[in-house]
Amino acid sequence: MNEPQAAAATPETILLPRRIRAPEVAALLDGICRSAEAGPLTLDFRDVEEFDSSTLALLNYVRGRLANVVTVNIGGALARAEESFVRRPPTEETKGPPSGGLPSRALTAIADRFIFQAKSLGRFLAMLGDEVYHVGVYLKERKGVYPGETWNQMFFMGYRSFPIVCLLIFLVGVTISITSAEQLRHFGADIYLADLVGIGMLKELVPLMTGVILAGKVGAAVTAELASMTVLEEVDALRTMGVVPEKFLMVPRLLAITLVVPLLVAMADVVGIFGGIVVARVTFGTPPSAFIAEMVTAVDWTDFGWGLIKTVVFGWAVVVGAGFKGLTVGRSAEEVGRATTESVVLSITLIIVIDCLFSFILY
Amino acid sequence: MDIIRARDLTVGYGRTEVLRDLDFTVPEGRITAIVGVSGSGKSTLLKTLAGLLPPLSGGFDFAGSLVDYRSEASLRFLYGKIGVLYQGGALLNGLSLFENVALPIRMQYPKMPEDMVCDMVYASLAQVELAGSAEKYPAELSGGMTKRGGLARALVLDPDVVFCDEPSSGLDPITSALLDDLLLRLKETFKMTLVVVTHELRSIERVADSILVVNDGGLRFSGDYADLAAADDKFIRTFFLRKDSHDDA
Repeated sequence: MNEPQAAAATPETILLPRRIRAPEVAALLDGICRSAEAGPLTLDFRDVEEFDSSTLALLNYVRGRLANVVTVNIGGALARAEESFVRRPPTEETKGPPSGGLPSRALTAIADRFIFQAKSLGRFLAMLGDEVYHVGVYLKERKGVYPGETWNQMFFMGYRSFPIVCLLIFLVGVTISITSAEQLRHFGADIYLADLVGIGMLKELVPLMTGVILAGKVGAAVTAELASMTVLEEVDALRTMGVVPEKFLMVPRLLAITLVVPLLVAMADVVGIFGGIVVARVTFGTPPSAFIAEMVTAVDWTDFGWGLIKTVVFGWAVVVGAGFKGLTVGRSAEEVGRATTESVVLSITLIIVIDCLFSFILY
Repeated sequence: MDIIRARDLTVGYGRTEVLRDLDFTVPEGRITAIVGVSGSGKSTLLKTLAGLLPPLSGGFDFAGSLVDYRSEASLRFLYGKIGVLYQGGALLNGLSLFENVALPIRMQYPKMPEDMVCDMVYASLAQVELAGSAEKYPAELSGGMTKRGGLARALVLDPDVVFCDEPSSGLDPITSALLDDLLLRLKETFKMTLVVVTHELRSIERVADSILVVNDGGLRFSGDYADLAAADDKFIRTFFLRKDSHDDA
């Protein structure tokens, strides 16, 4: 497939070497582009014997993009290869920019994102409703869930989470006490540290911190497990066995979180307040008995109860959020990681939103 | 008699049609192979027939009843009559092989005595020659054993139809031939209907009574192997007889 020599006056000619594969193409391309900018250029392929797809891509490129370049002496195997070289279809870039200016496209993108998020919220709320129904049906009929699975989940969610919850809540108790003690000292109101720690821990910090820890530990694990099951077709397998995965997989986890959260919260309250007692003793020399006596004048069982209810709600938000992300994942391993991250973000967001709503109710 | 009858069935994901306007039947008590190149939509079609992916249009009858994806009762009816062997076995990793195979029984018949569950599970595992591995977990099984375990679970409630998604993929020729033997035995002994998605030519020739070839978004061929060998379709000749365009010329 020889081509006529370029008609332009004295065009520069580059005689290509015998071997022109990816490394040679890469080395030559800059020179070819520069020469083509300077004036007419002829690429002579007469000596080319060894080539690969990059050579064909080079031919395609110079013909499509460099108007000044003429290719000559393409024959033999190279000509045959060029005939069979499949060119990529035009991309968005070569088709030209999409219709509408930048503001219009940005608005469309924002609207698309908003619609996607609104649909996701709808699906999440639908799943929440389904799960409430499944738990209710299970408690009535006691079937559709693998025997013993709730205990397994309680062990994982409760026993395995217990040390980290206690450690972090103790540290939060100490931190909040140290910070507050410094301010209270200015007013000689040392003893009120007990009130502050008691109310803060029981009503706000223990529920919030426990929820966040559960989101990171339990939520991420639940999503990763369910997402892997989805990718490996285990969820499909359950469905074709006549099992409802949203019940089989979620009900034990929801029951487990409902049962272990009160225990976790009770222990966390004790440990968090203990942190306050330690700081009061060290900072002000307040005896533990005086601290507790003052604290019980400020808090009552209602505060403990509300903290408990809040944490159970947070626990449900974590598990339903994790299940939602895990069961709606795509089909690739990469999406398992993405779903896990999204699950933690979703759970923490839900916890803070719900906490805010509780604040309106409680105060 | 045909146990599955598809009419104008279009399958796909979202707005993407993978296979369009399919009309075919699956005869009862025989092995039907769904054949095509990778990405041709074989597994998508299988998922639709197994009640996992709603058709985009058209539909299919199963055992004389139209499968209505919007009706929970219709899907429950379908799930009660089928077993599915997934490509990777899809055994639940947290359960032993025994518990995996017992799962459909325990879920469908929670009041069945444990002795009966054990008997049924061991009978199913014995069919796939895995009775000795009942206590092992999926992570301890080889690829071939996992697939046989998946088949045991699919068989345990004696379904009318067993769908197998690429049963021989990733297996060595000997294990693959053993699985083919097993499929033939199930058909001959239990008069079971099997729908097998595959592109293993040797396996198709050996086990398939009826063949559906899908390609280019549609059904290219429907018939038995003898019809297939005589087919005058360039794609089929290339795919099955390994004859390329040069041979045709």
